[in-house]
Amino acid sequence: MLRRVPRAPLAAALAVVVLASACSSANSVNVQHNKAGGGKGGYKYDIAVVTHGGTGDSFWSIVKAGAVQAGKDMGDKLTYESNGDPNTQSQQIDAAINRKPDGIVVSMANPAGVKAAVQRAVAAGIPVITINAGQAESKSFGALTHIGSDEGVAGQAVGTELKKDGAKNVICVVQEAGNVSLEQRCAGVKATLGGTITNLQVDNNNLPGAQQIISAKLQQDKSIDGVVTLGAQVATVAEKAIASAGSKAKLATFDLNADVAKAVVDGKILFAVDQQPYLQGYLAVVMLTQYKSNLNVLGGGQPVLTGPNLITKENAAAVLKLSAGGTR
Amino acid sequence: MTTATATRGDERIAHVGLLRRQLVKPEFGALVGALVIFVFFWTQSSVFVSSAGVANWLDAASIPFGIMAVPVAMLMIGGHFDLSAGVQVATAGLATGIMTTYWGLNVYASLVVSLLLMLAIGFVNGYLVTRTGLPSFIITLGMFLGLQGVNIGATKQVTNKVTVDNLNLVPGYQFLKDVVGSTITIGGGQFPIAILWWVLFTAIGSWVLLKTRFGNWTFATGGDPNASKNVGVPTNRTTIALFMITSAMAWFVGNTLILRSGSLQAQFGVGTELIFIVAAVIGGCLLTGGYGSVIGASVGALIFGMTQQGIVYAGWDSDWFKLFVGVMLLLAVLANQFVRRYAEQSRR
Amino acid sequence: MADIEVTEDKAAPRNDTDAPLLEIRGVTKAFGSVISLADISTTVRAGQVTCVLGDNGAGKSTFIKLLSGVYRPDQGELLMDGEPVRFGTPREALDAGIATVFQDLAVVPLMSIWRNFFLGSEPTKGRGPLRRFDAEKAKQITRSEMADMGIDIRDVDQPVGTLSGGERQSVAIARAVHFGARLLILDEPTSALGVKQAGVVLKYIVQARDKGLGVIFITHNPHHAYPVGDRFLLLKRGKSLGDFAKSEISLPELTRLMAGGAELEQLAHELEREGDKSGALGRELLEDTKTLG
Repeated sequence: MLRRVPRAPLAAALAVVVLASACSSANSVNVQHNKAGGGKGGYKYDIAVVTHGGTGDSFWSIVKAGAVQAGKDMGDKLTYESNGDPNTQSQQIDAAINRKPDGIVVSMANPAGVKAAVQRAVAAGIPVITINAGQAESKSFGALTHIGSDEGVAGQAVGTELKKDGAKNVICVVQEAGNVSLEQRCAGVKATLGGTITNLQVDNNNLPGAQQIISAKLQQDKSIDGVVTLGAQVATVAEKAIASAGSKAKLATFDLNADVAKAVVDGKILFAVDQQPYLQGYLAVVMLTQYKSNLNVLGGGQPVLTGPNLITKENAAAVLKLSAGGTR
Repeated sequence: MTTATATRGDERIAHVGLLRRQLVKPEFGALVGALVIFVFFWTQSSVFVSSAGVANWLDAASIPFGIMAVPVAMLMIGGHFDLSAGVQVATAGLATGIMTTYWGLNVYASLVVSLLLMLAIGFVNGYLVTRTGLPSFIITLGMFLGLQGVNIGATKQVTNKVTVDNLNLVPGYQFLKDVVGSTITIGGGQFPIAILWWVLFTAIGSWVLLKTRFGNWTFATGGDPNASKNVGVPTNRTTIALFMITSAMAWFVGNTLILRSGSLQAQFGVGTELIFIVAAVIGGCLLTGGYGSVIGASVGALIFGMTQQGIVYAGWDSDWFKLFVGVMLLLAVLANQFVRRYAEQSRR
Repeated sequence: MADIEVTEDKAAPRNDTDAPLLEIRGVTKAFGSVISLADISTTVRAGQVTCVLGDNGAGKSTFIKLLSGVYRPDQGELLMDGEPVRFGTPREALDAGIATVFQDLAVVPLMSIWRNFFLGSEPTKGRGPLRRFDAEKAKQITRSEMADMGIDIRDVDQPVGTLSGGERQSVAIARAVHFGARLLILDEPTSALGVKQAGVVLKYIVQARDKGLGVIFITHNPHHAYPVGDRFLLLKRGKSLGDFAKSEISLPELTRLMAGGAELEQLAHELEREGDKSGALGRELLEDTKTLG
């Protein structure tokens, strides 16, 4: 089977192919030419960010980008760890405590699971800011403040908008089984929509499969006139599913990426609700820095809401320009 | 049985009837299972058998499961697993995307380079398995974890994001999309061309397995590697080739995915490797190697596609989706086992 | 056991040319400090059976691996047709006409008889990418070769795993004969078989011999070896206890040598002293050794 092929001619042929096709700029459509520059604040604080976001998740890569940029801007030393398992996340928090940082940023998808670790940090005199999830528990665990978006409020905003557009039978596409905040989003939509809403389970790690499932659902129930997706990547495949099923359903989504922004510009997605993850990462680091240097706390410890920020046809084009840099 | 007498034995072959001959084929159980599941969902939803419905579940069955089930079944017959097969799909597509949209390489050159990359990955898998004698389960588990890291790490490093996109904007894209990602409209349903590729690869895989020397070596290597080595079968080369075929098919599937839509997510494929193996097992492949069928594995993927989509057509609560899939698969495997036992008995 | 009948007079073409088919001259093989084989010599002639007898650990498997090209001897040499030969790989030995039927028979139980028959040497037809395994030819040859050995196969599509032990052996032997073996090495072909099946295998050995092949028959059972053998090499702990032509040794002598002579008598006495049952066994053994001389 493995017949010997003369190597030299093969290599030469390959080299020719590669060279002949030499880097033409028509291909490198993704190369950025305007990289945002970073200033130096010179604070030199040591700040640890420990979140529950998966490494392959586009949302969390934007949070991380925000935190990293803030670290550069403030001149802080910044570390970023993440693990979806609250037990491992707690261990990561403990590891951070042990190196005695100047501040810790934690996201609490499972507040009870990381409670002890967060309280250990507070007891060790390290200021903690919670981000994204865990707003209700933040204060009682001893955190300085919480920066995030209220899932229920965001869901209600989506429900209100869809109602305005006349949607009555809506499916809510859940891409991670058992994620509480995703369920809260769907519940929020339901609260203000005033129509039927059905949850549809898909797998975030198999988006082509998600597309097939959404398409099947739309074929099965022709009366569906609205689709809500809870993540930007799912929105893109839902858009294709709607087209392939020949459905007239309107699409709205939580979260944002370049594809979504573009689809909003093109009118294929009605609107996107953004909780501005970049701000969550960026502000947390900035606020810790300001707290350490000047004891400032924004809003006096009240939760700082970064969303919902509605991206509609009017403002999508401007956002689209930024999304390619991984900050929106 | 054979005897040492000199009588001609043709009259003894006569009563091994056509049905019995079908029964002993490894894919028979899967075919029966597929029929049962088809009829079952037919009774649940008329959309399931509509043109659009059929196109939908055939699509789910073909990409990535059906096409990948072909080499995975061959590899399993050859006595090995490739747990990295799923993430390799993503690696292939991401490599093409990054090389083209970030490094400015011509899309065809990117395809060639990513094919070489995939063949190299397959070679490493096969070489390590044959060289160390460790179970392929462990070796490819390492490859699985490693590539998962590479997929996300490299993608983020280059793109700042976790998807590679905009491949649809490069020159030459449209033709390639037509080749692997176009659809054919029949009776209102849009049938992806991937279904034809699936059928073609199944036919080729089956032909190679049953009609070529390499196929004979594959069965032998999986059935008894020592015995095979002793009669001069190049078992190591066969094993390495099988791993490389798996990676080459991952290349095809990964690039089909990114060429279809222009984008691919870095975490794609995690978990799919198990479905490939499940499809092969439903299709009659022995987990221990040496026995099985490529056609059976493709039918296994068909069962998976019909079940996954059928649940939606039946309008069942999707929160329970995985349970339905699990039960369906178990039933299919049990039915398969039952048929095979019955067939084995009929042999004696 | 001794009731296996093999008619030896039928041995037809015994072409006793000057040079033997294979001559083993003073071969020694050591693994580190362990000497597996020391100074072993014997000959195999075409149309003759040389039996290699020895208990477990006598060095039989090292001996086979030396002949089949798995190992190279440290000292001594192998001569084929009077010419010194050196096999680097099993393939080279095979190309020289030495076919080894290992104890595992090198058959794959899940595969059909015809696929096994041509495993590793498949006939092909067609060109380029369409080159394929010529199944029709393979099936037909398998059927006729097996029939030549006096075995009638009902269905060559049958998996080898469904055959009896003797039948599997016959597939392996027929295969070696078909692929032009001049010298057939059989590794303990009868050890795992019952009396009747062992008899069937002995018949195949005689058939191969009658086709003019040289046969090396490895066994620990003198009752199996004596009826078919022309020459007997006895091994014990890597050393040769002797290399006899059939005329130089009788079955009882062979058995006695094999069993270790005096040692066996000692064992028999020990057994006799113990309880009733084993006492009977001991007496039996003792009588056996006496009659065997």
